[in-house]
Amino acid sequence: MQTNPEIVLSLRDVAVTYGEGKNALTAVQHVNFDIHKGETFSLVGESGSGKSTIAKAVLGIHDTSSGVVNFEGAQINGKLPAKQRHALDRKIQMIFQDPAASLNERATVDYIISEGLYNYHLYDSEEDREKKVRQMMAEVGLLPEQLYRYPHEFSGGQRQRIGIARALIMQPDLVVCDEPISALDMSIRAQVLNLLKKFQEEEGLTYLFIAHDLSVVRYISDRIAVIRHGRIVEVAETEELFTHPIHPYTQALLSAVPVPDPQLAQHKQLIVYDPSMHHYETDKPSLVEILPGHFVWCNKAEEAKYRGELAGLAG
Amino acid sequence: MADAIDNERSIQALTEDKLGNSDLITDDDFVQVPLDTLASEKIDTPKYSYWGSVAKAFFSNKVTVLMLVLVVFILGMSFIQPLFSGYSLKDVSKINDLGARYNWPSSKYWFGTDQNGQSLFDAIWAGARTSISIGVIGTLITTTIGVIVGGIWGVSKRLDKVMLEVYNVISNVPSLLIIIVLSYTLGSGFWNLIFAMTCTSWLGTAYSIRVYVMMYRDREYNIASKTLGTPTFRVVTRNILPYLTSVIVTSASLSLSGFIDYEVFLSYVGVGLSQNVPSLGRLISTYSPYMTSYPYLFWLPVLTLALLTISLYVVGQNLADASDPRTHM
Repeated sequence: MQTNPEIVLSLRDVAVTYGEGKNALTAVQHVNFDIHKGETFSLVGESGSGKSTIAKAVLGIHDTSSGVVNFEGAQINGKLPAKQRHALDRKIQMIFQDPAASLNERATVDYIISEGLYNYHLYDSEEDREKKVRQMMAEVGLLPEQLYRYPHEFSGGQRQRIGIARALIMQPDLVVCDEPISALDMSIRAQVLNLLKKFQEEEGLTYLFIAHDLSVVRYISDRIAVIRHGRIVEVAETEELFTHPIHPYTQALLSAVPVPDPQLAQHKQLIVYDPSMHHYETDKPSLVEILPGHFVWCNKAEEAKYRGELAGLAG
Repeated sequence: MADAIDNERSIQALTEDKLGNSDLITDDDFVQVPLDTLASEKIDTPKYSYWGSVAKAFFSNKVTVLMLVLVVFILGMSFIQPLFSGYSLKDVSKINDLGARYNWPSSKYWFGTDQNGQSLFDAIWAGARTSISIGVIGTLITTTIGVIVGGIWGVSKRLDKVMLEVYNVISNVPSLLIIIVLSYTLGSGFWNLIFAMTCTSWLGTAYSIRVYVMMYRDREYNIASKTLGTPTFRVVTRNILPYLTSVIVTSASLSLSGFIDYEVFLSYVGVGLSQNVPSLGRLISTYSPYMTSYPYLFWLPVLTLALLTISLYVVGQNLADASDPRTHM
């Protein structure tokens, strides 16, 4: 992979298994990707493909069963000393999918946004803390008089902005956004996305963005990883992936994106992905760098085929 | 907001003016109103206050208020009246005064007198004081220990394994048996009785709190707190226990009348309190032979007990309902 940009997070052959023994279910395996500083890296895939599992493994909510998760050069999966874990928790923050379920209904906005500040004592005095909270509220577009209100008094978009405020007041290095807009009304999705973009520009934040809405992903991300059945099948830069998808699953996924033009939509060709097209019995697949920065999950035979197709395109 | 109202007025004025001249609506009839993004953020509902809403829901029920008045009356009488009556169970000064014995309720002796010439009115309040004290102290101990242990039990997997076995063993032994055996071994006395009753009763409260803590433990807002670095202790105290207010109040109101009933039963069968301590249970036990000859001696303490436990139970249950925010809408 590219070595020039600073790598914030890197996953190597990560697998997560739920349950033990007979009931063991491998949710994700062979997960490999790097996230560079200041970029938005998106994970896309259908429901149940393991997107959220990867996010939870990064946050340390789920244990990994094998592989290495490196954050800022140090391994963070497996058992960590409590102090190191605590310090790490501040640097990796999360924005949740459902703003109604992820806020404590019995706490005021003041406490919710201050929660992290209390835990790490990130303020000098009580006035300083309140000043920080008010400033953060203004930045996410909440009114100062809402400081002592409860989450259920807010609209969905406002609640999600409370969630963003409490994560970003910690000044994290990496923010994991687990489908932050899929529970929101269409009319306020852009508002939340633009807010996330604004913070990235101002603070140089790195996002691990999880979504299943491809148009959103195209709008917000720098690089995209496509995941299917717990395996990453393709990683590439956004425009590269949208213009030259190589893996048949990615092609099928992209062909399913609705076109907002009835005439074009009529002539659109849907590609159907059939997993039985791969023959991995003897020739085992791996993540291969087909083009610089463009990785595809394939075996030797497929690699040759894809390279042939690419040469055909170029020639 | 004022701007918006002004705008509306000027639009109205414009519209009326134009309509007077012609029925056609043209572009000139419309005025551009600037979009105020901050105004759309405003919340117009009055501020929510948890305990304020609890009080509102609680006092909106007339039966509850009536029962609360009854509870306050009984509590007041039990703790104030004995200070003036000077009632003592061992006082037999009037035992030979035939005129003072076995008086039916009258304007002089409100609840009548007994075989020792003692006023039943005094006896009932002195007895109720002991019974209520036992109920309140027992409930405080049970609920406090139960909530603390249940809170730890719900989040600690190691403790869970041990406690579950302890709970299984103790909950399978009839609690009345444990209380009677303990009362006999410890000897009679106020604090001994409280110890005997609370010794194992907190396990039940702790177990129900444990179940609720486990239910709430893995909710998304608790995972969110974890990602913010909140220690487990504060997750339990700030995130989970506030949700359990109604559960805790329900269990407390049940155990309050439960302890009073236990005391009555134990005194009736003759274990528990020492001989010189009056209690509702002792009164009912002492006067039960008079059930047919002087029925007031038996039925008035029973009626007081019934009113006390029913009113405490109704008030407790309605407080539990009111403390559930789902009833606040």
